[in-house]
Amino acid sequence: MTGAALLPLSVLVPWVLAASLALADGRRPLVAWVSVVGIGAGFACVMGLTFAVLRGGPVEMVAGGWPEGVGITLRADALGVTFAAVSVGVILASLVYEVLGGVRSRTFPALVAFMAAGLTGLFLTGDAFNFYVFFEISMTAAYALTGYREKDYQVRAAFIFAVINLLGSVIFLIAVAALYHVTGTLDMEVMARRAAGVQPSSIISIAVAVLVAFSLKLGLFPFHFWLPAVYVGSHPPVAAILSGALANIGGYGLLRFGADVLPRELELGTAAVLVLGTASIIYGALQAISRQETAEVLAYSAIGQAGYILVAIGIGGPVAYAAAVVYAVVNSLNKALLFLAAGGRGRLVGAAFAVGAFSVVGVPPAAGFVAKLAMFRASVEAGSVALTALIFLGGALSFVYAFQIYQRIYWTPEDGKRKAGPLPARILVGLLAVLILAAGLWPEPLLVLGEAAAGVLEGR
Amino acid sequence: MILILSLVIAVIFGSGAFLILQRDLFRVVVGIVLISNAANLFIISAGLTRGEPPIYPLPEGAPVADPLVQAMALTAIVISSSVAALLLSLVYRLYVAHDSVDIEDVSAAEAREAEALERGENPEREEEPRESPADVELREDTR
Amino acid sequence: MTSAMTRMVARLLLLPTLITAVAILVKGYTQPGDGFSAGVVASLGVLLQLMVFGREEAEKIPGVRQAGTLAFVGLLAALGLAVWPLLLGDAVLTHYPPPGAKVLHFGTLEFITAVLFDCAIFVLVFGFVVGTVGAISRAIEDADEQEAP
Repeated sequence: MTGAALLPLSVLVPWVLAASLALADGRRPLVAWVSVVGIGAGFACVMGLTFAVLRGGPVEMVAGGWPEGVGITLRADALGVTFAAVSVGVILASLVYEVLGGVRSRTFPALVAFMAAGLTGLFLTGDAFNFYVFFEISMTAAYALTGYREKDYQVRAAFIFAVINLLGSVIFLIAVAALYHVTGTLDMEVMARRAAGVQPSSIISIAVAVLVAFSLKLGLFPFHFWLPAVYVGSHPPVAAILSGALANIGGYGLLRFGADVLPRELELGTAAVLVLGTASIIYGALQAISRQETAEVLAYSAIGQAGYILVAIGIGGPVAYAAAVVYAVVNSLNKALLFLAAGGRGRLVGAAFAVGAFSVVGVPPAAGFVAKLAMFRASVEAGSVALTALIFLGGALSFVYAFQIYQRIYWTPEDGKRKAGPLPARILVGLLAVLILAAGLWPEPLLVLGEAAAGVLEGR
Repeated sequence: MILILSLVIAVIFGSGAFLILQRDLFRVVVGIVLISNAANLFIISAGLTRGEPPIYPLPEGAPVADPLVQAMALTAIVISSSVAALLLSLVYRLYVAHDSVDIEDVSAAEAREAEALERGENPEREEEPRESPADVELREDTR
Repeated sequence: MTSAMTRMVARLLLLPTLITAVAILVKGYTQPGDGFSAGVVASLGVLLQLMVFGREEAEKIPGVRQAGTLAFVGLLAALGLAVWPLLLGDAVLTHYPPPGAKVLHFGTLEFITAVLFDCAIFVLVFGFVVGTVGAISRAIEDADEQEAP
């Protein structure tokens, strides 16, 4: 199939699936497996689209057959498809994990499918307002997912999550409206062209609003306060989806709106972005070391890892953008693996967790090494000793907390209360770990993706 | 007009922000609704041009009002209303569980429960499936 | 409980609101009106019944009890209408006949696929609004029943 057909299908397959699943009871195994097959089909579409884009360049489709500039555009470029592929992949893995363990809520598969529909739409749209709409669809699915088990603390976490992120959404919406006012268009490509000709003074406050909105989403240092409460309250597959798929919105949004649409304003704010990123790395790592509960450690670790992405965006230039993309991809896989593995017990899961932890630290041959190496290259390219030292320090600190959790979980004697979980679920976690190792041993695809995505940002 | 609108938006946003900082969860929801509406007003004001209604056939020569902001505001209103419904159902769920909509009461009750669990040496926080009373099917919006 | 006046007004208003909704639904395209506003108007009419006469009475109106399902049926129909141009090799959401072409008229009603799309949106919006309020009121009633005995 050609890219032109795969592009709408990648968005519509999960969407039709979600609407159909909402009518069925997700606790029935048949329905649950249908959802797995459907998301799998969506994942296949996104992967096919990724290959099509990498071979033949960006694919575009204007909805309704309208002339360009009038209709709403779906646009798949290397940056978008990379994030879409990773996010849907993580969602698929988490869904399979949950289905193998037994779905406990009738709405779970439908919610996950809505999340996939929202995320693919968000990564593959070329329209700023549509970005907001898809963003809101996936966020709303996330609010409902957070309260999945309907325990009180989960409902409270979902409430906090929803309120904070709604604030972020509103700020983003205001930024989109302001961008529309200043540039007179919603198409991101045209917006980027026109924004370059506008006085920076009128756009800089919009850029700040965008930065704040996506920082809230990523959970960067001064905007992180909601994040631990949500991850601690969440069920492992839900936490994996939230941190492995949903958090990609933050990284993607900063790259798309920062580096692509508003590159000049990003350059003006380099210092602020670097300071925020650095603060996140150090704060996240220190908090993670001081925490006891696994989910909490991982939540703070997520704050630190998001900091690396921000630092790479702050450095700027093709090498750093490629590093940011590679880091975001690897971080998604790491977080998905760690949250899923932390939910289970046993030797295989322990080994998988160790692989994930090493990947976070950046020890070869795990994929995290490739990501850390890309970061090093970016910081050396920037000629900053301080940044290079920071990345090394961050790695060292993450080694401490990664080892701490591993010790706490897998070196304590089995008390027999914790079930090991079904064997297929454990094998799935093992497969994820193998994937991360494979990506570390054969990093070319990852690097090609990163470079292609950075090429999109530099191409303007 | 621009000045009045921006003042109105500022006042609504400010009141919303004030309400979000309250302990009463219902006030927080009302605050979120107010802030969303401030954003909707902002969208409208982003395309504030005087003109004929943009309905086919278009009048010759005369300026036409911007139809896009209307569509955007409409979509934003739909989204904010459905999210408000979701938030209200979450608050209601907490109210049923704790007989209070005060965030500190809710947290305190949770802390007590956690302690009771620890004392009862029952660290198993999972399992014990319970039927969901409230449907959380409120997330759909699509426009 | 509600006064006799409110009840009478509510009863009298139901049919006109529904007719207005249908009028808005079919009037669109060359004049203001679309499935979304029609759905909102229709559901407001039904919600008024729900407030005045209670859920039991309101559910006698066809479609109110199954509102939640209706919402997703409408969504599926809308998605289907968005997808099927792909089979003909056109972009998603293409409507037939294309703009400018000759359209079959039936009174003021125009036969284009966009009308079908708006009908789907009407069902979706009506189902969503009524279903949401119905689900919340059902949850509250259930909780009250549990406490009462």
